[in-house]
Amino acid sequence: MKITFPNLGNSIFAAKAIFDGLGIEYVMPTPSNNRALELGAFSSPEEICLPYKIMLGNYIESIERGADTVIITGSCGPCRYGEYCELQMNMMKTLGHNLEFIVIDNPGSIGKKEFMARINRLVSTSDKSSSKKVRVALNAYKIIKMIDEIERKARYKVGFEINKGECKSILNRCKSEALDCKTDIEMLKHFKKYMDIINNVGINLDKKPIKIAIIGEIYTILEPFSNLYIEDKLMDYGVSTYRGLTPSWWIKDAVLSPLKLNSLKLRSASKEYLPLYIGGHARECIGEAILAKKKGFDGAIQLYPVGCMPEIVSHAILPNISKDKDFPIMTLILDEMTGEAGFVTRLEAFLDLIERKSEDVLFGN
Amino acid sequence: MKVGIPKGLLYYKYYPFIETFFTELGAEIIVSPDTNKNILDDGVKYCVDDACVPVKIFHGHVISLKDKCDMIFIPRIMELEKHESICPKFCGLTEMITNDIPNLPLVLGEPIYGATKQGLKKWALSTGSTITKSRVKINKALELAIDAQKNYIIKLCKKEYEFKVALVGHFYNIYDNFINMNLVEKLNKLGIGVITEESVNEAQINLSVSKLFKKPFWTFAKNSYGFSTYLCENNQVDGIIYISSFSCGIDSVVIELIKDRVNDFPLLILKIDEHTGEAGFDTRLEAFSDMLERRCTEYENNLS
Repeated sequence: MKITFPNLGNSIFAAKAIFDGLGIEYVMPTPSNNRALELGAFSSPEEICLPYKIMLGNYIESIERGADTVIITGSCGPCRYGEYCELQMNMMKTLGHNLEFIVIDNPGSIGKKEFMARINRLVSTSDKSSSKKVRVALNAYKIIKMIDEIERKARYKVGFEINKGECKSILNRCKSEALDCKTDIEMLKHFKKYMDIINNVGINLDKKPIKIAIIGEIYTILEPFSNLYIEDKLMDYGVSTYRGLTPSWWIKDAVLSPLKLNSLKLRSASKEYLPLYIGGHARECIGEAILAKKKGFDGAIQLYPVGCMPEIVSHAILPNISKDKDFPIMTLILDEMTGEAGFVTRLEAFLDLIERKSEDVLFGN
Repeated sequence: MKVGIPKGLLYYKYYPFIETFFTELGAEIIVSPDTNKNILDDGVKYCVDDACVPVKIFHGHVISLKDKCDMIFIPRIMELEKHESICPKFCGLTEMITNDIPNLPLVLGEPIYGATKQGLKKWALSTGSTITKSRVKINKALELAIDAQKNYIIKLCKKEYEFKVALVGHFYNIYDNFINMNLVEKLNKLGIGVITEESVNEAQINLSVSKLFKKPFWTFAKNSYGFSTYLCENNQVDGIIYISSFSCGIDSVVIELIKDRVNDFPLLILKIDEHTGEAGFDTRLEAFSDMLERRCTEYENNLS
């Protein structure tokens, strides 16, 4: 059994740590690229959303490198993501690939027994002791928390940095070197080292950079390829960004939601505009926008793939938030055709607008 | 007290319930006119670009009502069956309407948890209390409304035709004759009768759905899939016609699942959006009917 998994931002580091730690054979997915997107879009239903297409491309590229089992998470609606596994299984069969799927679904809807059976199918191939397995899982959680924290700091500090480009190069180095780590413990040490480095980046607090919150559909904001590396582009402009949704946030939210203790701040912030969970991360999107305004951000950018059902609802609400709170919000809709030049123009226009709004803010450095 | 009821989305399935409930409460109900060009245009103007046509049309209906009534009812249905959900746009319908359309009268957009009686009761109390103070009256109205819905039987196929097809899709696409351009009538003229999902029962749907790896969590998806594949596998129809609105998230999944299951069984997918040209639509229907005929004669030839 050679396991693979789709790319999803920083979560690949946690996956790598788990499989390294458990000693399970796996294929690291190639970072999402145009070829993967083309391969995926070619065999996807035309109206399905962008994440599906990129994920399918990821699988095909991993199969070429010897993978025979895919592990993905599931959900039970109302967003389309929950149906991905079924469609992708059928599609892979039609394409003639013999690919096994392990779908980690919500135990509430598939039953605890089935859930444990699925986890066991994955874990049973490891010869490590159970206490070791638990330790690996904990380490993986620490890892995902740490890399999210490093990324958050790097993306925020970039507006204040003294040596231009320092944060970006640290972040890139941190991520690419992490892929060379051999064990989960080594990766943990690696991230600890970079946490110190990022903490010690020289900053100038007198600077007043533009600060933007990235909100929207979780896949497109987590997976940099799908949003045309918008956060990296903003880093180049010297704009500080903040993104509330991260893989570690997702884990925490999923664990706490049965107790109704999840994202309390987001829920109270979004109450006025969207008091119910309507699926996907529409409510989080609204909450993040309002929290960003409260925290003194200059604007927000909403990202979502064409046809994303929950985000269409938040797209309808955001203009009113923007009007009521005097807070610029731009919506960028992504699909496999997105031309980069038009995208950059809109981004620059948005930054210009924010800059002109508050005259004392200097652009970048 | 005038309550405006937009004739869009789930009105087509649940109008006995909605109308009985408000009439019994003592309110005067105003139903918006059948969908027409003006309603569609208004809807397109006010709604978010990315939404599907039925949601845009619903916006149009609300606009046509907003100056004629004291309050507008919005069917914000959260679930129809336990542990299942429906399209997220329904769950956020109230927010979409109130944020897209300015100067609305009072909006009755409380969430409706239709899976259980308690859920319905909660909705009835919060909605009914804006019209009458009497709890007894509200409870009675709810009972009567539930009965009205139970006794209501929809039947599209009245006569026997040469061919029978399963007409699959959301209610608001099948029953709104403006947006589907009189599809049923057109099919009947071509000698094709239609069967809709009311003709199969829940057990049959569940039987068909149980062959999937994962049970679809949308009630509509489950019904559409179970109904069409059941009829196809039991040879009760000659073909399947799926009428789907452009960029419908649920349809994009269900169509793939049906395609995968029925293999080379005749399946016509009709996409509708605000620009649909009628001529092209007719041509496709005619081609489909020709194909059914040819398939039938070929089958007979093979037998002899």
